[in-house]
Amino acid sequence: MSFLLTCPECGARSAYEFRFGGEVKARPQPDASEDAWYRYIYTKVNEAGEQKEWWFHRSGCHQWFQALRDTRTNTVLSTWRPE
Amino acid sequence: MREGDTVASALYRAGQRIFTRSFKYHRPRGLLCCSGNCPNCLMNVDGIPNVRTCITPARAGMAVRHQNAKPSLDFDYLSVAQKFDFMMPVGWYYKRFTNPKMWHLAEQQIRKVAGLGDPPPPDVPQAVYEHSHMHADVAVIGGGLAGMEAARDAAAGGERVVLVDDQVHAAHPSEANFTLLERSYCFGLYEGNLLGVVQKEPHAQARERLVHIRAKRVVIATGAYETPLTFKNNDLPGVMLSSAVSRLIRRHGIQPGKNAVVIASEAGDPNLAGDLLSAGVNVVATVSPSDVLEAAGGNHVRTLRTKRGNFACDLVVMCGHRIPDTGLLSQAGAKLEWSVSAGAFIPVEFPPNVSAAGDVLGTELKAAAALPAPKESTNKRTFVCMCNDVTTQDLCDGVAEGFDHIELLKRYTTTTMGPCQGRMCQLQAIGICARETGRTIPETGVTTARPPNPGVTLGALGGARHHPTRRTPMHYQHEKLGAIWMDLGDWKRPRFYAHPSASNERECVRQEYQAVRQKAGMIDVSTLGKLSLKGRDAGKLLDKVYTNRFSDLKPGRVRYAVLCDEAGIILDDGTISRQSEDEFFITTTTGNLDFVEQWLEWWMAGAGLDAHVANLTSAMGAVNLAGPHARDVLSKLTGCDLSTAAFPYMACRNADVAGIPAILLRIGFVGETGWEIHFPAESGEDLWSAVMEAGKPFGIRPFGMEAQRLLRLEKGHVIIGVDTDALTNPYDAGMGWVVKHEKEDFIGKFSLGKLADASAQQNLVGFLMNSDALPEDGAAILVNGALAGRVTSARYSPAKQKPIGLCWVPASAASEGAAIEVRVNGSPVAATVTRQVFYDPEGSRLRM
Repeated sequence: MSFLLTCPECGARSAYEFRFGGEVKARPQPDASEDAWYRYIYTKVNEAGEQKEWWFHRSGCHQWFQALRDTRTNTVLSTWRPE
Repeated sequence: MREGDTVASALYRAGQRIFTRSFKYHRPRGLLCCSGNCPNCLMNVDGIPNVRTCITPARAGMAVRHQNAKPSLDFDYLSVAQKFDFMMPVGWYYKRFTNPKMWHLAEQQIRKVAGLGDPPPPDVPQAVYEHSHMHADVAVIGGGLAGMEAARDAAAGGERVVLVDDQVHAAHPSEANFTLLERSYCFGLYEGNLLGVVQKEPHAQARERLVHIRAKRVVIATGAYETPLTFKNNDLPGVMLSSAVSRLIRRHGIQPGKNAVVIASEAGDPNLAGDLLSAGVNVVATVSPSDVLEAAGGNHVRTLRTKRGNFACDLVVMCGHRIPDTGLLSQAGAKLEWSVSAGAFIPVEFPPNVSAAGDVLGTELKAAAALPAPKESTNKRTFVCMCNDVTTQDLCDGVAEGFDHIELLKRYTTTTMGPCQGRMCQLQAIGICARETGRTIPETGVTTARPPNPGVTLGALGGARHHPTRRTPMHYQHEKLGAIWMDLGDWKRPRFYAHPSASNERECVRQEYQAVRQKAGMIDVSTLGKLSLKGRDAGKLLDKVYTNRFSDLKPGRVRYAVLCDEAGIILDDGTISRQSEDEFFITTTTGNLDFVEQWLEWWMAGAGLDAHVANLTSAMGAVNLAGPHARDVLSKLTGCDLSTAAFPYMACRNADVAGIPAILLRIGFVGETGWEIHFPAESGEDLWSAVMEAGKPFGIRPFGMEAQRLLRLEKGHVIIGVDTDALTNPYDAGMGWVVKHEKEDFIGKFSLGKLADASAQQNLVGFLMNSDALPEDGAAILVNGALAGRVTSARYSPAKQKPIGLCWVPASAASEGAAIEVRVNGSPVAATVTRQVFYDPEGSRLRM
């Protein structure tokens, strides 16, 4: 797990400097169906391929950003700060 | 011993011929490769086991001992194991020990004789292992001709180059952008071109250094190495690879034997012939590998029997198969393809930023012998895996038993799983697997290459023996006061304070408890997480993330705060006080501070809120001053009006204490009137001393974690992570009141809504022992004789004159007065459930 991640603030660093924050998932509205909430809380897509995900730079700027990573090869295609 | 000797060459020069006894059969083994690629020379040097003596420079005074042989290398009584080889076929431990009782008996004996080498005894002085990190434009692995050329070219082009080589170099590069790591080997090539390299004896004070190299591009120039031929008794001392023979002659000036038979498939290597001649070795015969029948001899080869006659000799020179050292390339994901002309798997496709140079490409190689050895050579003394004594017979039997995939065959026979990690044996094993299954070699394939290869010591991986310690600003005050320390994560906290009038811990804790209940006590709570949240949307963020409501908290007020996740599980608790319209001061538990900061930041990320978090944990120290005289003490140090009218329970004020600007929170974890005082860390010692001085007339005592645990337990206060776990929701824990469902939206609203309506399976309740038996934290709870729950915290309560605690019980047993049993010292002891707080249930002591 020593691939490189480019923190939008600090630049390219070893993945070990970061904390993984899971897949980017849209949070349901408070009144959404039970099914939608169940899926949001308990299930993952677990993509074998390009995945949008959260990372926190815990050994650096302490900021969250998102990344697009190919989970099969650990190639990080891009990183950005979410708007 | 001569200059340039390795330990092995020095021993060989002195006449040593047997260097080890093999793993399973304890057969005598001598030098085979002289290049660190086989297990035959492993010895204990200066207390370190499994040292590859053939590549370790010799030094005067080194203590060298044999391994795995009793009483000596020349006579090892365990070599009798060979007579019982019929009892130890391939996979024999799976077949023989099907009776569990038999295995328990056998395992004890096997443990005594198995393995190679012994760990250093405890009195061996600890060595220093270091870690270092390097960055380079180019990392070249292997400093032979091709590697050195690649490194020089890159350096001349202005790139920062690191060259890793296992040899000692006479000359070092002079350019600033060219670093040579000598006596170093690379054991792994990881994602992002991170290389793991072990450097031996980088300087006199360190035994090994683990160098992490991050390189933009990597050039693998690890070369090719020679592998043994297969024939009966090919493992006898005196049977050596031609490259080993040449090395002994050229590098060390040693005559390896007097009468040699050379096994070579072509006209022969002219360099070898010249070397043997110069060393005065008489070449008795040169035979083709297909003509060889067996080597024979007791502890050393005496005869080579071939189809063309028997030859008396004391040295058999195998011109073996050379194969590229592709381990690192495989780890990086390079594609290997079988080359018929080379008789080896050679790299054909490379991942980005990884390339190869030199013999490792395999383009110059030529197959030395037909692969594999023919079926007729299958017997129990033709060795393929020298490390684990795996023979051609074992491999054939393994395939016959159904382990016909190379990965299965490897695991079943343990071929390639020893110290050499397949260098000497993998190709032969693949060849036999292919032949026995009727597949081609490319169809059979290779096993997955994984780091570390070669192996790494645990010391190198562990590195320097640091243990980070975090100290609060008042650490040295506690030292002076006789603190007995405990570890809370990286922090040091006083468990209790030794006192001249108390003879043991129990008495110290009781005195500290009494001081808080009757006079005044002060505890250092600097390890609590402290966050400042500022901004117009700060209140809105807190409403969203916490279960309670905070946007309506008035400035100057404090509220208990509980953090839940979307599944309704409690993540952390603490207090939140409002400093002003736009500013909140948040405290968290010591252990969860990092998590809470990340959690708040996450919910803010991209949400466009006007809110900012600052982590003040290290910047501020904190104490809890509590007791009936706490006000008396504090009022001597501050002009702030501390009366209950002006400063009620659950209020906060900013004021100077002993001239130090502080935040005062009137909250009550320990159940007495008191203040949690937060101040700049650099003033911690001053504030602590001032309070202790002001408190002297009132009998103030510092108190530690043990007293605090007891005080809060009598109030039934829950500690997140001690009394709750990763499945606890607020309703189970009796904290349903913190969840404000009327809020439009907050984290956990959906799940908590469901949990509020559902009936809890288990509840966190208080209990009183019916006798004086004191349970341990975690003790089992029995209801109607069946295991039903557990104790989370238990202490002897002076207020109740009985042991009390908190526990998880099924909802059916969670009512006032319910009878339960607690396991104390292995026996169930009667106890009673109570929902009442043990001490001052009305909380009047907090509001004095």
